Amino acid sequence: MQKLYYFLIICFFQTISVTAQDKVTINGYIKDASNGEALIGATVYVRSLSAGTTTNVYGFYSLTLPAGTYDVEFTYIGYAKQVSNQELIKNIRFDVEMESQGEQLKEVVISAEKEQSIVQSVEMSVNKLDIKTISKIPAFLGEVDVIRSLQQLPGVATVGEGASGFNVRGGSVGQNLILLDEASVYNSSHLLGFFSVFNPDAVKDTKLYKAAIPAQYGGRLASLLDVRMKEGNNKEFEANGGIGTIFSRLALEAPIVKDKGSFIVAGRRSYIDVLARPFVEVLQDGAKLNFYDLTGKANYSINEKNKIFLSGYFGRDVFFFDGDQGFSWGNKTGTLRYNRIFNDRLFANFSAIFSEYDYSLQFGEDDQDYFRWKSSITNYTFKPNFSYFLNSDNEISFGAEATYYEFTPADAVASSGGGPIPLTVDRKYNLENSFYLSNDQKIGDAFTLQYGLRYSSFYSFGPGKNVIYYDTIPGKRRRPNTSLEQEVSSGDVLSQYSNLEPRLSIKAQLNNTTSIKASYNRMVQYLHLISNTTASNPLDVWTPSSNNILPEIGDQLAVGYFKSFGNNDLYQFSAETYYRQTENQIDYIDGANLLINQYLEGELLSGRGRAYGLELYFQKQEGRFNGWISYTLGKTELQVEGINRGDWYATRYDQRHNLKLTGFYELNKRLSLSANFTYVSGTPATFPTSRYVVQGILIPYNANESRGNVRLPDFHRLDLSVRLDGKAEKANGKQRKNTDYWVFGLYNVYARKNPFSIYFTQGSERVPVGSAINSEARQLAIIGTIIPSISYNFHF
Amino acid sequence: MKNNILKSILFTATFGALVACEEQIFPELESAEPVLVIDAWVTNRDQPQVIKITRSQPYFDEVLPTGVAGASVSVSDNLGNVFTFTEGATQGEYVWTPVGNVGFGTVGNSYELTVTVNGETFLANARMNDVPPVDSITFNKQEGTQFFDDLYFAEFWGTDLLPVGDAYWIKTYKNGQLLNKPSEISLAYDAAFSRGADYSGEKFITPIRTSINPFDEGADGSLLSPYSVGDSLYVEINSLSQEAFDFLTEVQLQTDRPGGFGELFSTPIANVPTNVRNVNASGSKVVGFFNVAAVAGNGRRFKSLDEVSRVY
Repeated sequence: MQKLYYFLIICFFQTISVTAQDKVTINGYIKDASNGEALIGATVYVRSLSAGTTTNVYGFYSLTLPAGTYDVEFTYIGYAKQVSNQELIKNIRFDVEMESQGEQLKEVVISAEKEQSIVQSVEMSVNKLDIKTISKIPAFLGEVDVIRSLQQLPGVATVGEGASGFNVRGGSVGQNLILLDEASVYNSSHLLGFFSVFNPDAVKDTKLYKAAIPAQYGGRLASLLDVRMKEGNNKEFEANGGIGTIFSRLALEAPIVKDKGSFIVAGRRSYIDVLARPFVEVLQDGAKLNFYDLTGKANYSINEKNKIFLSGYFGRDVFFFDGDQGFSWGNKTGTLRYNRIFNDRLFANFSAIFSEYDYSLQFGEDDQDYFRWKSSITNYTFKPNFSYFLNSDNEISFGAEATYYEFTPADAVASSGGGPIPLTVDRKYNLENSFYLSNDQKIGDAFTLQYGLRYSSFYSFGPGKNVIYYDTIPGKRRRPNTSLEQEVSSGDVLSQYSNLEPRLSIKAQLNNTTSIKASYNRMVQYLHLISNTTASNPLDVWTPSSNNILPEIGDQLAVGYFKSFGNNDLYQFSAETYYRQTENQIDYIDGANLLINQYLEGELLSGRGRAYGLELYFQKQEGRFNGWISYTLGKTELQVEGINRGDWYATRYDQRHNLKLTGFYELNKRLSLSANFTYVSGTPATFPTSRYVVQGILIPYNANESRGNVRLPDFHRLDLSVRLDGKAEKANGKQRKNTDYWVFGLYNVYARKNPFSIYFTQGSERVPVGSAINSEARQLAIIGTIIPSISYNFHF
Repeated sequence: MKNNILKSILFTATFGALVACEEQIFPELESAEPVLVIDAWVTNRDQPQVIKITRSQPYFDEVLPTGVAGASVSVSDNLGNVFTFTEGATQGEYVWTPVGNVGFGTVGNSYELTVTVNGETFLANARMNDVPPVDSITFNKQEGTQFFDDLYFAEFWGTDLLPVGDAYWIKTYKNGQLLNKPSEISLAYDAAFSRGADYSGEKFITPIRTSINPFDEGADGSLLSPYSVGDSLYVEINSLSQEAFDFLTEVQLQTDRPGGFGELFSTPIANVPTNVRNVNASGSKVVGFFNVAAVAGNGRRFKSLDEVSRVY
């Protein structure tokens, strides 16, 4: 590890020392000409020098070149290439607006920019899905969904249909950092896991990093999902919307000041309860069953060098059985950002971020008998980031991040006739700080390096109790030693951790169409999602590292081969292998009590994990028939003392084979077909060997004390959808301004009853004392039938 | 609260029933050697106390387990008294019969179970904890909706004992039959559900007070009223040791599998714990549990609809 640090430091100082003379910089923003949206990852290229760069997440680029006259090419997939002859004798600002290409290429699918393709970019283990692609994948109940679409990509898995979140390269759901305009999203699901919180009408771009995560990001072991919202049309008013099987959606965008500022407001609401109200009495008595979200963003360019953005999300799921009993949960996020171009080469962004996830439950019959419970996690973050475009070969990034967390595990009150009694679990207060420095460096035509270092530290502080536990037998509940318990006052530090997180990626360009890449990164995770159910659920709480819970640490090595071929790089192929090992993984004692428990930490076990695999990806990028094939061969295991006799065991989401086929075919200008097929080999399950009876209850027993001793049957499913676009011309032959389309979908076309679980239970009848008890195994399919859907979408 | 939980189930069922699908399957299971099972739940009720000794069976063997004959079974207390359980009429049942009107044991005492089978000795310990009385039982009415007819359900009233850390098992007999489905296991920790949240010395919370209702389905799948006029019920609170509370909590987790969307939130399958140990740690395995309970009970017959005290 020491050697690696030296290497990184040497690389960095060499960069600094090669400062150039007689160089000039061209910089600016690249935007979509039709609506002013910044284009992320657009390419700027000077062919005569083989020098180039891409725009950052704000659409900004800066390229430093020797003084001279050049043809500068601006390209972005799906947009007409622009070439500008620039006489560079002094630094210039050059903003570009790119025209979207016409009808013939509208159906282009992209997952990586073509000019700066997966072969050329130093990034590896990255999947980009733009919203156009996402919206074409056949969707459950016809609702376009970001997270379900990600599951079509290699290395991404899920516990099963209806399960929240996703698993990346064998990581748990809580090991993904999900950012919506830089704000952490702690629970990414609506209605269990059937839909994600991201409104597709408001999303511009999603990017999933499965390895080689830039030093700017940290805090989760397995992946980073970076979701960027649209900025809103700054040219003219625009509305998008739709009526689907579950949601009705509407998004409005308009300029605030033309070309300088704009906003977007997008909302969705499920409406089954509204439709059912006249027919279902309980809905008239105050019962509620709905989920909704509201996403908004505004931006304003103060002048050429200063720009501000304000974005936010508010979403909620509400289940109320009557007027005052039920539960609800949701996320709130807010991000204020300020982009400043300090000079031609120094770009800065300052973000102030708020994020909160909370849930509440309430039950009761009257003022005498009730139970009300709330739980939340809140964070406030300040994050300055700088990019220094040193020259065309080096782009240095540095910055810091400070996050203050407040955890409310349970704020509950109950009464059973004797007045309210609080059942509150102490709040927890934490601070996570980090600093990072990294550089993207090109060395000749063949090599590109991305290397960086992140230093993170995490503090728990009072007011609170310093709880010490007795050591006991592995796998058993640890009891608190209350005699050693200490009260600490506000601001006193209870525990503290710090870690260095090196990140390194190398690309070797073998030729124009082939490259090999390798990366190593260390990630540290200070927050832990406490969940011992098969699928993560809305009541899962996050808990911070403390004197009793160590931070999770993960090291990942990945190596990949990237190749493009065919006319104009029509086909892309990649093969990647990865190996990750993790320390301080959390598991749970049997029968763990994770809710409203002051001594939660005594219910947790700690162990280690390992995950490795091979991912193959083949894509045809354009043409009337396009799509991709993704295959993952993987294994993910944990070893925790007290579980499975202390041996390695497969996690619940361990899938040996995971094959996804996604295809799109354009029949004609108005009619297109989409299909996807999924095949996943069976996930682990635990079967008993024996049974016995205690106090008249039939208890299953596994004589080998093993976990995951069998596999469920394989999972496979085919989904289809047809998109029918409305006529482009009016009856009189004029072009319609408004566009609309219908999507007809079939989910699980051959109605396979894919098993979600197999469970063992005694028969449902009450057994008279002295009779033998029936025992049975039952297989459950969450979705055991074909599900048709229809949606109507419009744009004007 | 069961009636509210019921509503929620109906709610999610409307969605779940449309898509979810469940079927019985017959997988082949690994075979395993039988292990000794000791089912030793002794109470201070004035009636013969039975400890059952059996062996585990292959999971799909739907016959009564064979009892283990020839064991020697006794319980001693911390004062040196020994209660000997003698082999009963049914093989594997060992019985202690009270003399006079004095039930087994005394609240506050500690007990040790000793079982000797085929030369191996098994031990387990338990403390008999105190139990509060069942003060009364009342009947309530849940007015019918379009999904179900009027329902009559019962509620018992009682107050947890004051020190923090009492654990109880509430057992209900409807017309003399024990409600013994896994979903009918009702546990209380102090006046509420679980350890770690201090809710002590209060009336039991509503979900516990109404946990004495059977929710059965009629032949046509409709929900039957838990109680009807003419039914009787008897509610019994059994005190538990801390370990017995943990044991039953896990039994509940491992056996109460409602299926459907509930499977999304089931915990991993694991063996439930035991407090019985083989004196020879490398000897034969043993499962089961030993608890000594103090019991308080109360009963009532639902004589007429006039007895309904609350309507929802």
